[in-house]
Amino acid sequence: MVRYTGRRLLEAVPLLLGIVTLTFLLLHLAPGDPTTAYFNPNIPPDVIEQMRRNLGLDRPLPVQYLDWLRSFFTGHFGYSFSQHRPVAAVIGDALPNTLLLSAVSLVLIFVVGCAVGIVQAVRQYSALDQALTVGALTLYSVPGFWLGLMLILLVSTPWVSSWLHLPISGMTSIDHEFMGPWGRALDRVRHLVLPVIALGLASAAGVARYMRGAMLEVIHQDYIRTARAKGLSERRVVLRHALRNALLPVVSLLGLYLPLLFGGTVVIEVVFSWPGMGRLLYNSILARDYPVVMAATFLFGALVVAGNLVSDLLYAVVDPRVRYGEGR
Amino acid sequence: MSGPRRTTVLARPAAVLAAALALGAAACGGGERAGRGAGGAAVPDSARRGGTVVVGIRAEIPGVDPLVPPPDYMGAQVERYVLFMPLVQLGPDFRFQPWLARSWDVSEDSTRVVFHLRDDVTWSDGKPVTAADVAYTYRKATDPDIPFPNRAYFERWDSVQVVDAHTVRFRIRPYSQFLFGWTQVPILPEHVLGDVPDSALATHPFGTSAPVGDGPFRFVSHEQGDRWVFEANPDFPEELGGRPYVDRLALRVIPDGSTALAELARGDLDVLMNVPPEGVGRVRSDSSLRLLSFPSSSYAFVAWNTRRPLFSDVRVRRALTMAMDRKAMLDAVRHGLGSLATGPLGPWHWAYDSAWRPLPFDPDSARALLAAAGWRDTDGDGVLDRDGRPFRFTLLVPDVRVRRDMAVMMQADLRKVGVDLRPATRDFAALAGAIQDASRPYDAFLLSWNEDLVIDDRDYWSCGPDEGPLQFSGWCDRALDAVMDSIPGAMDRSLKRRLLRTYAETVERAQPYTFLFDEDRAAGVRRGLEGVSMDVRGELRTARSWWVRPGAR
Repeated sequence: MVRYTGRRLLEAVPLLLGIVTLTFLLLHLAPGDPTTAYFNPNIPPDVIEQMRRNLGLDRPLPVQYLDWLRSFFTGHFGYSFSQHRPVAAVIGDALPNTLLLSAVSLVLIFVVGCAVGIVQAVRQYSALDQALTVGALTLYSVPGFWLGLMLILLVSTPWVSSWLHLPISGMTSIDHEFMGPWGRALDRVRHLVLPVIALGLASAAGVARYMRGAMLEVIHQDYIRTARAKGLSERRVVLRHALRNALLPVVSLLGLYLPLLFGGTVVIEVVFSWPGMGRLLYNSILARDYPVVMAATFLFGALVVAGNLVSDLLYAVVDPRVRYGEGR
Repeated sequence: MSGPRRTTVLARPAAVLAAALALGAAACGGGERAGRGAGGAAVPDSARRGGTVVVGIRAEIPGVDPLVPPPDYMGAQVERYVLFMPLVQLGPDFRFQPWLARSWDVSEDSTRVVFHLRDDVTWSDGKPVTAADVAYTYRKATDPDIPFPNRAYFERWDSVQVVDAHTVRFRIRPYSQFLFGWTQVPILPEHVLGDVPDSALATHPFGTSAPVGDGPFRFVSHEQGDRWVFEANPDFPEELGGRPYVDRLALRVIPDGSTALAELARGDLDVLMNVPPEGVGRVRSDSSLRLLSFPSSSYAFVAWNTRRPLFSDVRVRRALTMAMDRKAMLDAVRHGLGSLATGPLGPWHWAYDSAWRPLPFDPDSARALLAAAGWRDTDGDGVLDRDGRPFRFTLLVPDVRVRRDMAVMMQADLRKVGVDLRPATRDFAALAGAIQDASRPYDAFLLSWNEDLVIDDRDYWSCGPDEGPLQFSGWCDRALDAVMDSIPGAMDRSLKRRLLRTYAETVERAQPYTFLFDEDRAAGVRRGLEGVSMDVRGELRTARSWWVRPGAR
């Protein structure tokens, strides 16, 4: 297992290097540079030239690339062109926010998805199953940003907001710093509700479909009938015997959902004014803020690689038949 | 355009400065309190204090160091009106008023200016604001190693000398708007930044997480991509209005327009800057809100590349303008927030002539003009042609919904007079790169931008030997050059007004651009927030005298 993990990590190195190199090339192939984004009729051309020199953009491309690689390997990502702060600080501010949003969404996706899938499988072809299927398919087809806007409109109607005043933008209230510790925690949770739903609901619907399928496959097998015949309660049969096997294919979804989640944050963070990586990356691309785009792309890439690895390892944990590396 | 970049011969510089000085002196009496009383005389000063005002803005303000680019519309206002103090303030009608400088003297030959600073202003760390700070700011703003965007403001300023703690003397080469730069660039603290090398200035925490200011508000916190929070400065000079009424001023970034409108309607925002046009109706119909709109210096236009044969004929350019239903466009994409443009000078400017009328929407005349220029549909395909070449061109369009919609409307309008417009969208950096490219690789492009408050448009239209990156249309006129060259030096207002109008009318006649519309900016303001007034000088200009009705806190 350790050797397997090590090999996978080693394999990730050329992959990530390829990702950043490709990003670098694509960024510089795109027309315009950070100073054209500053473009403004009131700035004289010599000032633009000076900006370009100060940012090191007047040097040949290979030099810029090697320079970036060096700063990257020394763990210093350089300075953001548009935010005037070290890239590490810029990302350090945004990354935890996105991880929080994605992690809570991931929990929602799997907990809600699995629960709904199990209920549907157990009550196959019931009215409840049909209703949940229609609901899941509908949600699965709804784009996250639209769902987000609808949620905002919904909680903003006077009737709803009179009893459920959920925040619709930002991570904390404006008086957050004047709250007590419990108040602050509650404030954060309240701010998470809508973005998490908008980000995760469609994926949860997808997981529910998978879970239903996997569960149905398992639930008709002989050992389940045996378990029932032994006189075990239905609850025990479903949640202990059937679930363990049905979870196997679902766990492998984890690796697939991570990139989807990170992609989704770009839109969700704009809709809900969430100061995270998605919005940062989007704005940095528009501003041609090369150092931030490179670092952010690398991080997203690394997170996806890590996510895939974790899901593969988890697979081994939940399925004793899977062994990595030892050649047994 | 900011400040003159080419040498200008001035007729009587001394008179210019004397006039400016007289204006300054006239405005010296601190009429601030009286101004603040308007709109709520029944509520005593003491009852106006308190409360937090939450302002929604649409884009992050990356930093508040005025020396560090890029210049940002809201960021510049925070610097000028919230966190720091410029020497001089831009009064109504753009007259100069004392601010950090209590007064100023100009020598007989107009080559020396002496500013007398207030002695009751302190930085938020307790240190007094002195002449050394002014000298520092000037040196950095003119330092060639620092890409200060508005360096041109001080191009005719030659040297600085600190006379005593509150007196600073400059040597200048005279021109009429010499004080303008000092209304735009706030004074910075030398004791904080003096030891920072030029190369480290852009990334110094001063601009992003630890500003030390002397303005009506003090810095509290900045969370990247989320908010800036300021609190009232209790030590702000009484004579200038004293401590602001509100305890706190928070600027929250809400990039999505519909989310921002929902926040305003729910009451979680007190002010929403730059209400998206499609939300104007909603704000107007909400009894808990009011809409403040004002003409901004921003205008939308199509630039024609007159170097290309397609657009070299003025009749063709006028025909293209007249073929476009600009009113329909204004109503559709701006929901009426703006007025049809009558040339390069908008209604926000004091020299604007309210008798100006836009070119009419008149497709028949447009057809006639095109025919006169030799364009006919000889092959019957619905597209005009001349010498076997169809009238077909590509319009570069910023990849923003509003601009895309406008391009589609133009395409339909031009189609009716036999012109085939092909829109091509580009993201902003790509578009900016293409239109500034020396090879001018475009037929035409659609854009809108903010004009500088001091009109000096020589960078767009000058016939000079070396073409600058901003000469998008390539059109110029020798006679107009002479007019534009004399604008910065024009000493009295009536002469300046005449010159500006001649300039605007000449450009409008030649239509190197199709001037589409002058854009109004609109802010949604919650009822209960009083003392708010906004104009082209900026939405936050009066923030220090905003107050919240006690019942609305």
